Amino acid sequence: MEQFGYIRAATVAEAVALLNEPGLNSCPLAGSTDLLLQIRHESSTGTPKRTDLPRRVVDISLIPELRRIDRQRDWVTIGAAATFSDVLDSPIVAQTAAVLVEACRQVGAVQIRNMGTLGGNVANAAACADSLPALICLDAVAHFITATGEQSLPVCELVIGPNHTILPKGGLLVSLSYPIPLPGSRSTFLKLGRRNAMAISRLTVAALGRLRPDGRIAEVRLAAGSATPHIVRLEAVERELVGTKPGPELYQAAGKLAADEMVRQAGRRWSSEFKVPALIAMTARAFTRIFEPENGTQEER
Amino acid sequence: MNINFILNGKPVWADVPADTTLLSVLRDQLGLTGTKEGCGIGECGACSVLLDNRLVNSCLTLAAQAGGRQVVTIEGVCGPDGGPSDLQQAFIQFGAVQCGFCIPGMVLAGEALLALNPQPNRVEIREAIAGNLCRCTGYQQIVDAIQATAGSRQEKNQHV
Repeated sequence: MEQFGYIRAATVAEAVALLNEPGLNSCPLAGSTDLLLQIRHESSTGTPKRTDLPRRVVDISLIPELRRIDRQRDWVTIGAAATFSDVLDSPIVAQTAAVLVEACRQVGAVQIRNMGTLGGNVANAAACADSLPALICLDAVAHFITATGEQSLPVCELVIGPNHTILPKGGLLVSLSYPIPLPGSRSTFLKLGRRNAMAISRLTVAALGRLRPDGRIAEVRLAAGSATPHIVRLEAVERELVGTKPGPELYQAAGKLAADEMVRQAGRRWSSEFKVPALIAMTARAFTRIFEPENGTQEER
Repeated sequence: MNINFILNGKPVWADVPADTTLLSVLRDQLGLTGTKEGCGIGECGACSVLLDNRLVNSCLTLAAQAGGRQVVTIEGVCGPDGGPSDLQQAFIQFGAVQCGFCIPGMVLAGEALLALNPQPNRVEIREAIAGNLCRCTGYQQIVDAIQATAGSRQEKNQHV
């Protein structure tokens, strides 16, 4: 017997209407790479991975509006059903957000990047989701539609914990947008996995920085994934760096502050023994890439 | 539900439950067993097919998602004479095939790469087949075969 039904929405309005049809537990389907695994996990083990398994999936992946990537003045907007490959193919994103390009490039393998979507990564909100630290580093805002209207929230307020968002039932994530970083900003993304390809992130770092004309740091942003239950910008670290002169000692100090912040927010865990030194090194490497691009190589393989 | 799509250039249809994967429809309904099921969870790439020219895992794709779209499986890959394509011949020539289970997915991954990037370097080839596991060959011969095909296709294009 089929576990769930399938219906394809042609427009955003139709998708919202279908998702809110009374008496049916419906769920949006975009890339299907996470959702099918969650559903199959239940049928093979009897234990649901999520408590709200849908009885009908609403395929939103072919709604043209949800695939669009465009720039309006100082903001870039990415449709929630844009795949990681769509993001990687976009010259707009390439010109404005290296951190997001590098994060999307490290998602799964090409098969997953061709199906998996940015909106799905955010809405599924896995602790190890590669795009989340990048989006949060970019101060991205999530736009969603519910039965009662349109709403927008910073991504870090929408995603409040592992597999936990405050997207209401029947809500449809429509797009993600970020303010274009000021000229002179550089950003990067680092991922630590157990192997080079197809790895689930053990730790990720998304960072952005910009120098003042006098060579001191004008702005810095830092977010880490798989480090704390709730991904936020590590402002305690950022504050210490602004106004200082960049250099190797500063990057190490920033790494130590980031690790302190991780332990403060997440507590000491079995994984802290490797995550603390790893986060220190990755933070230092990210800032080296940003402030001394001649020393921070892009490909380290 | 009824699902219609274009498979290897020809229209096909299947009447299957909505939760059926594309992999299952290809193998069990349409009898095209070149597409393999390895892990069933999107890790191994044995089930790779092209959906609208993009490489995807058919085990993680619902058949319904393919409705109205173009699907190419290994059965749809061939040379102009109907025999093996140049890429498949290169796999044979370089000894890139041992047990063969991963090869349909591997060939499609190679074709998908060459369609987007006709002159890939070895790092790009490795990235393109990162989602296709092979436990026999150690990948070197597979990378060699894809690289050689890229070279021979470029030569051919220059002569045309």
